[in-house]
Amino acid sequence: MLLKNATVHDGLGRAAVLDILVEEGKIARVAQPGSLPGEGIDLTGKHILPGFVQPISAWGVNGTAFEIRPSSNDNDEHSDPITPELDGFYAFNGRAATAQQLGAFGLITAGVAPSDNNLFGGTLAAFHVDGVNPYKLCLRRDIAMMASVMPSLKRVYGKNQKAPMTRMWIFTQLADQLRKASEYKADADKPADAKLQALKRVVDGELPLFVAADSALAARHVWEIVSRYPCLRLVLVNGFGLTSEEDYIVEHKIPVIFRTASAVMDKAAMTLDLQAMLRFMERGVPVAFSGECSNYFGAREDMLWNGLELMRLTHDAEKVLPLLTSAPAELLGLSNVTGSIREGLQADLVVWSGNPLESWEARVVTAYQAGEAIYREGDALRCM
Amino acid sequence: MYVIKNGTLYTMSDAGVVRADLRVENGKITEIGSDLPLNGGECVDASGLAVTPGFVDAHSHIGGFPDGEEIADLNEITNPLTPELDAYYGINPDAKDFDWAIRQGITTSCLVPGSANVICGWGIVLKSAGDDRLMLHPAVMKGAMGINPKGAYSNKKMAPMTRMAIASTMKTYLRNVREYMEKKAAAGDDPSKLPPYDLGLEHGIPVLKKEIPLKVHSYMHDMMTLLEIAKEFDILITVDHAQGASDFADELSDPHVRGVIFGPTSEPLFPGEGGKLDYECCNMLDDRGVNIAVMTDGPVTVFNMLLYEMGEAVRHGMDPVRALGLTTIHPARILGIDSRVGSLEVGKDADILLWSALPTRAADAELKAVYIDGKQYLGEC
Repeated sequence: MLLKNATVHDGLGRAAVLDILVEEGKIARVAQPGSLPGEGIDLTGKHILPGFVQPISAWGVNGTAFEIRPSSNDNDEHSDPITPELDGFYAFNGRAATAQQLGAFGLITAGVAPSDNNLFGGTLAAFHVDGVNPYKLCLRRDIAMMASVMPSLKRVYGKNQKAPMTRMWIFTQLADQLRKASEYKADADKPADAKLQALKRVVDGELPLFVAADSALAARHVWEIVSRYPCLRLVLVNGFGLTSEEDYIVEHKIPVIFRTASAVMDKAAMTLDLQAMLRFMERGVPVAFSGECSNYFGAREDMLWNGLELMRLTHDAEKVLPLLTSAPAELLGLSNVTGSIREGLQADLVVWSGNPLESWEARVVTAYQAGEAIYREGDALRCM
Repeated sequence: MYVIKNGTLYTMSDAGVVRADLRVENGKITEIGSDLPLNGGECVDASGLAVTPGFVDAHSHIGGFPDGEEIADLNEITNPLTPELDAYYGINPDAKDFDWAIRQGITTSCLVPGSANVICGWGIVLKSAGDDRLMLHPAVMKGAMGINPKGAYSNKKMAPMTRMAIASTMKTYLRNVREYMEKKAAAGDDPSKLPPYDLGLEHGIPVLKKEIPLKVHSYMHDMMTLLEIAKEFDILITVDHAQGASDFADELSDPHVRGVIFGPTSEPLFPGEGGKLDYECCNMLDDRGVNIAVMTDGPVTVFNMLLYEMGEAVRHGMDPVRALGLTTIHPARILGIDSRVGSLEVGKDADILLWSALPTRAADAELKAVYIDGKQYLGEC
């Protein structure tokens, strides 16, 4: 397949009119217009963006995956606030993700995460969004350990007279579990401790620790605790309340995943400061956007809408687009798989009639997942 | 007194889109025209800017969900019929939510009880700031159908647990109001024949008299139930949330429908009421002359919800200038406040927004200034 004459926004800060050759689901060549043989599809006046990469989500878990027997969502094991041994991969139902038709909204890749109702929730996996078999759709699993110091823990457990009821418990357990994990040694005479084994990989820096926090104070408390472990790789989630005065973030280049979409009644989102996000960027801190990631109803438009919040401050689409594509891909360890338009990557490409970061009149013409059209303009939008 | 000079005015009146100056005196728009003299007033340079009416949010709960309080002040989930309640007493007008509203260009909000009950109580219309904020009290009677009352009362093992019982409960209330009014009329001047005073039934009288609409949380087929009830009692309704309205666009073109208020849309598809998310209904209803607006449902949804809803309506085929009506003249008509707000016309309140570009066309349009009753609340003075 040859896509010709569109303005290609590569997700790495560049835009130019280029031709893209797709072979076996991958971007085989990106070249000057007319330099590749073959007739191809003329996309003059159209824009090609990398498919958005939502780093943290519940796609394939919530929404259409709700079941007739009232029960817990599959990424929300709130029987125990400490479940680092769980694998988010098992929560994902391909059909439920497909039913949302995410390609029609420009979204091609989603990190599927345990909920933020547990101090340690389990590991993050990333999937393509259209298909059935999770093994075929999965781009990477065991990406990061999901942790949370959000007030949701108090609501889920404390309200039912169980720990944690307070922030005191949350932070002392964060410290103590990591300490135990750092001291953990497998003992042939004893059964293995799956929780500490899982956390030991975090302490050793084998997989990063993504921590959802609701304020600058909570984020600082997290840093005070995790900075005791030199190998531990922290990523802060939500960005609520952070200002560029958080020197430790700048000094240690701690990545921050921002989101503006607020969970129901969650006023922490009101404290989000996108000027701070810009200043972090200028000072070399890796930042990215996510959509809703609190185990509640995320919107399919979340990634784009988040980008538009920053567009209102910068009016610079090439600066904003990476935060929806290559930057989250990098944080998920997928920068050589998806999230930008480079030779050798998966052909996760979305053809728009205009630039959606600039014009409301831009519509998705075709959404490609690994080179396959999963949505074409005019396809009926599904309902249930 | 000041003149906003050289802006592109999206008047949302018959005057359409004009390049003109706009004079503000004593909180009102007093003149619109070319090259208006300053007459000693100040000059606000709007060259290159888009000037629009302030946004009217036709369905919101801001000020009614206090920070840090477990129980919100707008959901009295103790009885499916609470017509006697009044959102006026549940709203804290000093809540920081109103500053947040201003940052989104919202200058006026219809604030209503939540949707836990079949008949929830009165709602009001309040401006986001100023000395004289209360525009209407009562503005609407709020009602709800579907999963909210079902969920609230199934938990308590009491009626209504089903859509059947919700329809029946709503009709019973309206019938009781009608009988109460008939008894009062029959009593004439004889106080001894008056029925016992009933606050809940008193609150329903303006609904039966078509002075205020019954404003009902209704999705999908619930809209048809609601329309049947509106016809039976000859009352005005607004259809709120309205996901799935594209399936009933012809039926909703009915004189009993004061308006349809679509949204909020920051959610995925989910079974039941969330099974359809049809931005295209905005265009379809507008084509049929139905007053169609969008809402924030604040404080429960994303920042700039109104911008996103209008923008997505444009992406789904609506003309950008007409889409601006979704947050201006249409909600003003639905709420019956269009003599004061919703358009840029001489004599109306000076509720005005200045933008870097038309926000329903330019996805990165920046809100530069907000004026309410002529006073500036956002932007450089």
